[in-house]
Amino acid sequence: MKIDRRSFLALGIGAAAGTAFTPLPWKLTDDLSIWTQNWPWTPVPEDGDAYYDHSVCTLCPGGCGILVRKINDRIVKIEGMPSHPVNRGGICALGISGPQLLYGPDRVIAPMKRSGARGEGKWTTLSWDDAIAEVLDRLKKLEADNKTEHLACICDTDRGTVPQLFKRMLSLFGSPNFMTTPSMYDSYEAVLKKMHGRKDTLDIGFDFENTDFILSFGSGVIEGWGSPVRMIMANSAWKTKKAKQIQIEQRLSNTAASSNGLFAVKPGTEADLALGLACVIMEEELYDKAFTGAYSTGFPEFRNMVTKNYNPDVVAEKTGIERHLIIELARHFASAGTSSLAICGRGKGQTAGSMMEFMAVHSLNALVGKINTPGGVWSVEHPDYIPWAKEMNVRAAIAGKKRIDEAGSPVYPDSLSLLNRLPSKILESKESPIEMLFVSNANPAYTLAGTDKVIEALGKIPFIVSFSSYMDETADQADLILPNHIYLERYQDVPVRGGLARPVIGLTRPVVEPQYDTMHSGDVVLKLAKGLGGQVGEGFPWDDYKDCLEKTMADRWKELEETGFWTDEAYQPKPWAGAFGGTYGKFAFSDTILPLPDLEGDVKDYPLILIPKESMRISSSHIGDTPFTVKTVPDTELKGKTLVIEINPRTGKEQGLADGKDAVLKTPLGQVRVKVSFFEGIMPGLMAMPKGLGHTAYGKYLKGKGASYNALVGPMEDPVSGQDISWGIRARISRV
Amino acid sequence: MTTSDHKAKGDAPDKAPKGREGSSFGIIVSFFLIGFGLSMAVGWIAFPKLLYSEKQQPFDFNHAIHMDLVDEGCESCHLFREDGTYAGVPTLDQCSGCHEDAQSDSPDEEIFVNEYVANQQEVPWLIYSKQPDCVFFSHAVHVKTAEMECAECHGDIGTSESLKVYRENRITGYSQDIWGANIAGLKKNTWDRMKMDDCGSCHLERMGSKGPCFQCHK
Amino acid sequence: MKKESSHEPGRKYGMVIDLDKCTGCGSCMVACMAENNVSFKEDESNKLDSITWMRVYRLTNNKPFPETEIRYLPRPCMHCGGKGDLGHSPCVSVCPATATDYDHKTGIVSQIYTRCFGCRYCMAACPYHARYFNWWDPIWPADLKKSLSPNVSPRMRGVVEKCSFCFHRYQLAMERAYNEDRRELEEAEYQTACTQACPAGAIVFGDLNNPDHAVHTLKDHPNAFRLLERLGTNPKVYYISDREWVRRSGDNYLNNEKTNTKPAVQEHHS
Repeated sequence: MKIDRRSFLALGIGAAAGTAFTPLPWKLTDDLSIWTQNWPWTPVPEDGDAYYDHSVCTLCPGGCGILVRKINDRIVKIEGMPSHPVNRGGICALGISGPQLLYGPDRVIAPMKRSGARGEGKWTTLSWDDAIAEVLDRLKKLEADNKTEHLACICDTDRGTVPQLFKRMLSLFGSPNFMTTPSMYDSYEAVLKKMHGRKDTLDIGFDFENTDFILSFGSGVIEGWGSPVRMIMANSAWKTKKAKQIQIEQRLSNTAASSNGLFAVKPGTEADLALGLACVIMEEELYDKAFTGAYSTGFPEFRNMVTKNYNPDVVAEKTGIERHLIIELARHFASAGTSSLAICGRGKGQTAGSMMEFMAVHSLNALVGKINTPGGVWSVEHPDYIPWAKEMNVRAAIAGKKRIDEAGSPVYPDSLSLLNRLPSKILESKESPIEMLFVSNANPAYTLAGTDKVIEALGKIPFIVSFSSYMDETADQADLILPNHIYLERYQDVPVRGGLARPVIGLTRPVVEPQYDTMHSGDVVLKLAKGLGGQVGEGFPWDDYKDCLEKTMADRWKELEETGFWTDEAYQPKPWAGAFGGTYGKFAFSDTILPLPDLEGDVKDYPLILIPKESMRISSSHIGDTPFTVKTVPDTELKGKTLVIEINPRTGKEQGLADGKDAVLKTPLGQVRVKVSFFEGIMPGLMAMPKGLGHTAYGKYLKGKGASYNALVGPMEDPVSGQDISWGIRARISRV
Repeated sequence: MTTSDHKAKGDAPDKAPKGREGSSFGIIVSFFLIGFGLSMAVGWIAFPKLLYSEKQQPFDFNHAIHMDLVDEGCESCHLFREDGTYAGVPTLDQCSGCHEDAQSDSPDEEIFVNEYVANQQEVPWLIYSKQPDCVFFSHAVHVKTAEMECAECHGDIGTSESLKVYRENRITGYSQDIWGANIAGLKKNTWDRMKMDDCGSCHLERMGSKGPCFQCHK
Repeated sequence: MKKESSHEPGRKYGMVIDLDKCTGCGSCMVACMAENNVSFKEDESNKLDSITWMRVYRLTNNKPFPETEIRYLPRPCMHCGGKGDLGHSPCVSVCPATATDYDHKTGIVSQIYTRCFGCRYCMAACPYHARYFNWWDPIWPADLKKSLSPNVSPRMRGVVEKCSFCFHRYQLAMERAYNEDRRELEEAEYQTACTQACPAGAIVFGDLNNPDHAVHTLKDHPNAFRLLERLGTNPKVYYISDREWVRRSGDNYLNNEKTNTKPAVQEHHS
């Protein structure tokens, strides 16, 4: 007997045959195929109780109500709240991607102290007690040196309890330097003061739902202007009821594309067109005589000035719009039976506008009697629900102290805050007149024009405390970061300043537990005030922020907590008889032609004009974009890490450019390598760049993508209001 | 050329005698049978033992005792949520209602009360019927609309006095109950297996079609 | 037990999108991503590999300024029914794995990720570029895994994915209905995430076969059209625009050819 090769073959064949009669191959195949479907790195989201909780979005001034879908204690989705008076169920891209802000990689997860050079990004974490103690030490030193006004604070707004707590702390401490992020509302509120003669701050409101002719002077009606979701809904309603919207702009923005007509005036001549229209309306006697006669002052002088300087021929020459079109537009705007309405504030309204333009546009509304009437422009009394914001002793504490930005001074009496003037004020002085800066819900190092100067100015401030929840550009320049809870983790009242035709206060609620070692900025302020003691400490009689909020909201608290908002459903603006203040209690027309600053840059060196392009898909405010929203940015705006510039093909060819190819864009402030996208929808001679890209902070989903508009464009100060009214800059572009 | 070479080799005087050829055949057959037998043993006996690892539940649970105490059968604890979704294994909150303190002297209950209720920690039960993430299964339509009994798919677990050993498939990570105890996949009862084919055959039989993919997948 | 198919009327879910109302804001895209656990990566500017079940395209009439016009066109999966709605969709008919099929009860084209082996025939077959391939494993950094919905399976590298008309919402709506002893759904009970989010109200979703649903009449609007109708794919997404150039851009027209004013009738009413 010999065991040879064949025997082993037989063994093998036997084994194979035997295996075929076992379940092994079939079972193994099945199991392996299941195994290939279950990679451990492919997450399996945990199931559980699904339910909705309500809150309010704070990512822009729009004030939308949100429904937060939760699975157990996780937020998996944010949807619009159907019952909310602002957004009625609609929601924008950024609002939906809120969970990515909550759980995302850009959050500051604990208090941090800078351990390297500014902007180097080296941080060490410290405890909340140590962090607050450090701030207190420095505050006490300022107090001891009698330099309390050397403390400044920047917030996104002055509305609501949290900004007011900051403001109160500063005031009681002895500093008037509370500043807010600029926006078109600054201009509108200055206009209301000047023309409505009211000393108290009024909110501008627009009764868009009842209007049937909208004349927009460059406002991005469906691109983030006002309360964005409400505006998009209003736009749809206009389509349904065949209302007309006319856009005055130099490029085919989405608003222009959706409008019934685009008037491409030469850039910077918007106010001229407005007054040209006013001229036609007055010459043809189309204005509302009841209003101008009994409820206004200065009308004859205004009429005189306008007919002298803005007759249609002159305006046609200035604006580049044909005479007959100006006349037709004016007639249409003023035609009887139409409820028409003119608006301004460019793009999203994230910058202020010139007083000349804002007053000209507001005069148009006044001429046709559309002030505080259905379908018109309203001055809305905002709910005065924070009694402690007005206490006399608070104001007494800063009596005699001067604001560094000169807002409210005899030079700029109608402005409340001029943050845009802060950098130059700091850079002008040898030593920074601001020794300590608080920044809450703001990112001036990114959102202010002229980034280099802003960063240089911040660099001179000895101590910066950022209250940011995210690692943004300003936090990057800070010495200490005291991260706030994000809006999904905290209580806060949100009075809406979005051009609504009625007062609305929303309540943002903690729909999840704080995910990281963060603290409500309201509580930090309370701790600081109590730590300072004396009259500052006494000014904060609340246990904690929630106590303050509940007591402040008083009767409204229950309703806010239950429904998420408070509003006055039946709100009606004051009738003409009681709406205006001033000496005569009347609307004040102005016959002054206000000067406009020139666009920065020499025409010879910089033959083109660079303007921003704003969109709902890119945030461009102090809130950075999320991975989801960045995903929606088209490749005609961002390609890889390169910004794409929009230019008219004719201009592009004149400049020797080719579609889709690389080029260098240069402005007096800097230069950047870009790609070129030829697009017919922009006026020849202009270039548009998306605003909101080019972040130098945040994480890899945002940082270093494209270029920042504000880094290439400097501020342009309005001689009347002192606000930055920059809307573009001279530029040139050349191929590489 | 090659042919002749081959022929030359074949003609070589290396031929085995006839008798030896016969015994060689026997050896081959027996090797074949050994191989056959070994692989049969591996496939039917060793493989199932190797394939599954035995895991213990955190503590034992007596379904029978609980069934006696409740009024609405399985649904008393295995609830439907308001939105119609099925909540699965009861949560700690549900159990704590009765088990804030021990109700008996059972050592298992003691573990539950001391380790889980006291620490407010959910019990990490091993779920015998757990399906992959891609499966969507609506208990509502089966139990309420089609009025099927729980036991039809889950067997007589409701009357059991203790939990059986959880056998986890080492490759897939799912319980042995999905493929069934029989390694050949044969089943006697409707609850013996929970594979897609089992869903499909029942649907085919009762609904007339296995249904589209999205009926049971997500 | 009675057969369900004979019991229920054929539903045919579809969309009508008003392009004149669409503002291109991107809410639908992000609502879809958030609802469906769509992944994201560092660079999403290469739109060929950027997974967007719902993608908004910009159309332009290419006329010189200021006569230029643009419209935005949101493009979900068209859920093609094929000729006579027999389910002969371009993608379904080429899938060798039966990873995608046509549901005759809802008219929805499925995609089963665990069944797909990534041959991408369906992507080649789809004339609408509605299908996307996972070239990489998705990564959810920091705590972003917490934001994933349990109602939609996350995908793995190597499989194709696409819009499902938020089918999981149909599943959940039906589950609620069954729990309440109903078999019919109200129009509002099953809406896709994009429809729900659209602030412009440009997207209308519902059962094309149900006269009580808005889409039933909207689809017959004189300005309604579908994309590449003449391919015979019989898509279930209709568009409305008062601009003829927009309607013409929905198909490959010759210069001298007239624009189709009414959608070709290919549906098979059951």
